[in-house]
Amino acid sequence: MPPPPPATAVAESLRPLTPARDSQANIDIMAPTKGFPWQYWLALGVAVLGVINLFGMIAYQTYVGLGVAGYQTPVFWGLYIITFVFWIGIGHAGTLISAILFLFRAKWRNAVNRCAEALTVFAVITAALFPLLHLGRIWKLYFLMPYPNQRGLWVNFKSPLLWDVFAISTYMSISIVFFYIGLIPDIAIARDRATGVKKILYTILALGWQGTGPQWKAHSRSILHLSGLATPLVLSVHSVVSWDFAMSLVPGWHATIFAPYFVAGAVFGGFAMVLNVLIPVRRIFGLERYLTAYHFENMSRFILLTSTICGYAYMAEYFIAWYSQVEPESTSFWLRAFGPYWFSTWCMITFNVIFPQLLWIKRLRTNLPFLFILGVFINIGMWFERYVIIITSLSREYITGAWGLYIPSPVELAILAGSFCWFSMWFLIFLKVFPVIAITEVKELVIHEKEHGGAH
Amino acid sequence: MPELDRRDFLKLVGVGAGTAATACSDPVEKLVPYVVQPENVTPGLSTWYASTCMECSAACGLHVQSREGRPIKLEGNPEHPINRGKLCARGQASLGRTYHPDRYAGPLMRSAAGALESASWDDARAELVGRLKAAGGQAWIMGAPVGPSLDGVLTQFASAAGLAGRIVYEPFAHEALREGTRAVFGVASLPIFDVGEADLLIDLGSDFLDTGRSPVENSQQFADARDVKQNEHGGTRLISVGPRLDLTTTSADRWIPAKAGSEGLVALALAKAVFDVRGVPAGIDAADVQGFLAASDAATAASRAGIERSDLDALVDALVHAKHPLVMPPGVASTTTSATSTAATVMLLNALIGAVGRSVVIPPEGDAPAAANFAEIKGLVDAMQAGKVKLLVIHDTNPVYSLPAELGFADALAKVDFVVSFASLKDETSEAAHLVLPDHSAMESWGDAAPRPGVRSLVQPTVRPLLDSQALGDTLLAVIRDLGTETPQSSFRDVVQNNWSDVAWRDALGRGGVFSDFAFETPSLVLDPAKLSFSTPKLAGDGEYTLIAFPHSFLADGSAATLPWLQEIPHPVTKLAWNSWVEVSFATAEKLGVGFGDVVKVTTPSGSLETSIFPRGAIRDDVIAIPIGQGHSVGFYASEGGPGESGGPRGANVISVLPATTDERGGRVWLGTKADVAKTGGFRRLALSQWTDNQRGRGLAQTVSVADLVGETHDDHGDSHHMIDFEASFDADPDQPYRWGMTIDNDRCNGCSACVAACYIENNIPVVGEEQAIMRREMSWIRIERYVGEGDLTGGADRRPIPKGEKLGETDIRHIPMPCQHCGAAPCEAVCPTLATYHNVEGMNGMIYNRCAGTRYCANNCVYKVRRFNYWDYGHDNFPGLLGLMLSPDVTVRGQGVMEKCSYCVQRIEEARQPAKDEGREIRDGEVVTACQQSCPTNAITFGNLRDKESQVVKRGKEEKRAYHLLQELNTRPALTYLAQVSRDEQEGSH
Repeated sequence: MPPPPPATAVAESLRPLTPARDSQANIDIMAPTKGFPWQYWLALGVAVLGVINLFGMIAYQTYVGLGVAGYQTPVFWGLYIITFVFWIGIGHAGTLISAILFLFRAKWRNAVNRCAEALTVFAVITAALFPLLHLGRIWKLYFLMPYPNQRGLWVNFKSPLLWDVFAISTYMSISIVFFYIGLIPDIAIARDRATGVKKILYTILALGWQGTGPQWKAHSRSILHLSGLATPLVLSVHSVVSWDFAMSLVPGWHATIFAPYFVAGAVFGGFAMVLNVLIPVRRIFGLERYLTAYHFENMSRFILLTSTICGYAYMAEYFIAWYSQVEPESTSFWLRAFGPYWFSTWCMITFNVIFPQLLWIKRLRTNLPFLFILGVFINIGMWFERYVIIITSLSREYITGAWGLYIPSPVELAILAGSFCWFSMWFLIFLKVFPVIAITEVKELVIHEKEHGGAH
Repeated sequence: MPELDRRDFLKLVGVGAGTAATACSDPVEKLVPYVVQPENVTPGLSTWYASTCMECSAACGLHVQSREGRPIKLEGNPEHPINRGKLCARGQASLGRTYHPDRYAGPLMRSAAGALESASWDDARAELVGRLKAAGGQAWIMGAPVGPSLDGVLTQFASAAGLAGRIVYEPFAHEALREGTRAVFGVASLPIFDVGEADLLIDLGSDFLDTGRSPVENSQQFADARDVKQNEHGGTRLISVGPRLDLTTTSADRWIPAKAGSEGLVALALAKAVFDVRGVPAGIDAADVQGFLAASDAATAASRAGIERSDLDALVDALVHAKHPLVMPPGVASTTTSATSTAATVMLLNALIGAVGRSVVIPPEGDAPAAANFAEIKGLVDAMQAGKVKLLVIHDTNPVYSLPAELGFADALAKVDFVVSFASLKDETSEAAHLVLPDHSAMESWGDAAPRPGVRSLVQPTVRPLLDSQALGDTLLAVIRDLGTETPQSSFRDVVQNNWSDVAWRDALGRGGVFSDFAFETPSLVLDPAKLSFSTPKLAGDGEYTLIAFPHSFLADGSAATLPWLQEIPHPVTKLAWNSWVEVSFATAEKLGVGFGDVVKVTTPSGSLETSIFPRGAIRDDVIAIPIGQGHSVGFYASEGGPGESGGPRGANVISVLPATTDERGGRVWLGTKADVAKTGGFRRLALSQWTDNQRGRGLAQTVSVADLVGETHDDHGDSHHMIDFEASFDADPDQPYRWGMTIDNDRCNGCSACVAACYIENNIPVVGEEQAIMRREMSWIRIERYVGEGDLTGGADRRPIPKGEKLGETDIRHIPMPCQHCGAAPCEAVCPTLATYHNVEGMNGMIYNRCAGTRYCANNCVYKVRRFNYWDYGHDNFPGLLGLMLSPDVTVRGQGVMEKCSYCVQRIEEARQPAKDEGREIRDGEVVTACQQSCPTNAITFGNLRDKESQVVKRGKEEKRAYHLLQELNTRPALTYLAQVSRDEQEGSH
């Protein structure tokens, strides 16, 4: 637990000067919430249009039936589950940064955690769309909840899908609460500087934050406790998601390595997404002071680590498929690499394992254009990883006579694109409304440095 | 049922399904109870009527299941000697004709503007009578062969109306066999083959198990004759000779891939060889035979047939060593220009080997006129062209579609002043008529059939006419009276009853007819070589390939293309549906530079067509083959248009490129032309339901050799063969008396797919259409998979998948029916989050449609891939028009977004449970018969209670050397036990 900031130091560094001058951090970080560059509105406009299209497609699909998706027997899960796993994975970096790194006192996280937490929340919100979209009868969603009813209907606690329901709803609520509690002091800063409608909004959201000692105490305790709660989630949520696959009999799914493999993959993909979001934000909003090479170096190391774990998992899967001498299993894996979906497999291996090895080179770890491109590649690679796992496995199961092929339909592709718009829309609104870097936590670092000297 | 009209009934049927399926979107509909309870109808209980299947000339007996006044399912009549309780896919589907969206709602007359407009029956009949009077003896009638009663009325009509002639037209009339039999035995009738009496069958392209003249009967005989419990060494052997693998060849023990049209040469060489070895049986003049056979030479025959001399010798060897051999004459697909002499040769050969009188009986010529020769039809067309036909009456046939385009029937029809059609369903011919007087469907009609001496079968109506149609017999009787001739009976029903006055009418109605043994006299040989000598088949044109037009297993001559189930159920040999295709060998495809689905242009001297390529291994390089039956331009399912729309034709009609040639005796020729094939660059995906026939050694469809069965050798099958522990299957509540299970004997299964059709109709399974079938979204609860051999580890990587295991001469073809296995430890159940699929106390995997949210996890986890998902609102959309009336009220119609699968016909179990409960006993073995089991012509499927050690299902499943569970290594503990197919060596036939 971080010590509460020394009262005198805080007072010194925060005392408004005469004439009232804001702290540099406040000015810098709050800057994006003011002003209306046309590029922002263009981006938001595109995103909103995409979201309108997304919901149009969802309505269309719900009305006429899932037939508009590309499902072909025997592939009963398609783009929606792939994209669901993809977005859930994205969220993991945020939770890792905000919870685990918090507990480990990795101070460099303070600059990136707000962004990462926001990313988590929006990624989970995006991911949560997909299990619904995927349902044959979306209006029967409540069947998946264990609710008391006269008919004595109950859910099947043996089903990994039900675990999924709990895992995701838990994850979503914790992420939102975590994100929000961390935001409160910053909302208060925004409140103090806002006028008109914004003022009212911030006032409500700030929950009467005054920055008093007891409030700070409660705040930091909440963060600590929430970190404790969120930490197992980093491991459990994606483990549960992986069990959707691992608990089944499908060759290519039924593997014990799935939980760690998925968690590593999730963190890996999540960090790539953080890079993809932070690098432009830093550039556009001029936050170079706050997001330094040091942060990117650390994230690169994480990416390198998790990439290697993924690479190991891929190898282990292939090794076991061969070593087990179970023909359906080895055939499934052989056809992953050399079957109709060879492209996705080699994309996955190239983007997730081979490219990230370049990060062994120190210069590249802080080369932001390189990192940005790498992030994009990793995201594509991670999406394809789920594609490979789901589609190739389902298309080549035990009964060879039932083998088939799945090709995503235009509606599915539109919904996939829509999910990125949906995510971007929330993120763009977030940029506009809330400080993109945790002001108070950055200040904390600055104060800490002033008090004790030394590096971060 | 005076108070219940069609609409009300629709509501009644729809309400249960409708409310269950779409609870949130549909308004609540009201149930309409009977105001006046009709007699003999107990709501909720089925009534069964005996009748006769009118779908093909075999005339199988039917039991029509009727619920609340609507026939909903057809089953075989167990008392009927032809089908003995079984029914093929076509028979099952024929029920759909009654409810078909293509049905004419009432009489139509062509207006001055040229459109068909509805008219009253009185006006329409008055028009016909007027036209008949005005035709001045230049009126003709053309129609399919009919039963004796209707035939009598037609004869009366012909004389009353002073018709110039009557043509009995049937596309597959088997004229050559009839004429061939006449040439050898002096009797112009179609022989009856009892394949069960033979111990060696040589199939010269007859396809008797699939597209032959009586496939249900022959399949049953064949399976019984090969039953390994009755015949230790595997029973009857089958050797097929033909250019491509057809369904019968998939059951063969040896396949000699001879050239198309070489059956006659082979038969002649065989006859010569048998004659040389055995001489002639008593009562046959050796000199005549010798004269006929003189032309044959084994070496030449082998080389002209494109086979090895050793193959021919092996055939001879098998033939002379068999005790009771039988040679099956060529079927439609190999009807060449020398078809009559070929058939004659085969019949002579059968006489030489002693089959005639034992497994071949030659019935006396019947009273009804035989189907016309093709030459006679040509004569009619010429008369029409010459304007000598003023009026043409057409019933029960569609010559515009089914006559070769080269003959110019459609043009000739346009030259006829007035065309009258009695079609019940809209087709190409009726659309060209000036007057349409729609006939009842078979379910609404009286009638009879006399398929062979000793078998008289009745047709009785089982539903009040749904539309404003009139029975053909009644219309004709009325016309006869209008023409001023008295008729002895006033209605067609009376005509039928009068014809049956020699028997107890009610008893005959109850049984479905009168069935008695008939002593056949074996006619003596009258062979006169001077009258008939063997000639070589001639092929028109000089194209590179011989064009085989083969009858589609389900669509037959194209008349069944209108039935949706028959379009959707995959063709049992190729697993293709909904369209036409051209089969070529892999080598040919490579030469042409085309692959699966590429559109090619097939050109013959008579025309050209375009259709997709289907490359396969089991077809000779020098032939191409196109199924007969597609390419209709009219019809809701038959064409690509809907009702009232003129869509494009569905696929290509191969008849349009066939020559209008005849054989030696004027019979129709189906194998008569060469063709060229050219790539067009187009691509049209085919609805292929099984993409590979390679089982990769997974032991899905297993075999056991006869040697292993009799224990002569001990061959360890490695891990591909799994012996089973039956106790493990008893995964049900220990207090329950039942654990339902099934045994399927793959050795009896010949892949005919009757079970699939029965399942579709029993369980209200929607037909999804071509586009969805291409996406493999068909909803069938049982499918038949087909594998070649054990398989190997090749393939699987193709994007354009095609079965590749077949090869010429390969006979290790394994059919395996795949319904839900109702696992004891079911993978589907564990993963369903809502418990919509669950294990019931009697050990079955239940499916609660209402509870299904549609996660589809169960389908992913089902290792047998038997689950089907309602991607669309099939329940509402896929039963157009009256077809909704055909739905069984016992089975929920599934709504959008729910999963479904085989339920082991749980409604039939419940039906049996009630009387058992009333009588305070348990359900007896055999009381529950699933739809697939009921229909299976070979009795491959047995259903019953696994807890009853005396039950058939347990007894059959105990065949230790053959029983296995599918994918047993996954420990799903299926309730379904398969009995491995038996691989027979064709040499062991003489054991």
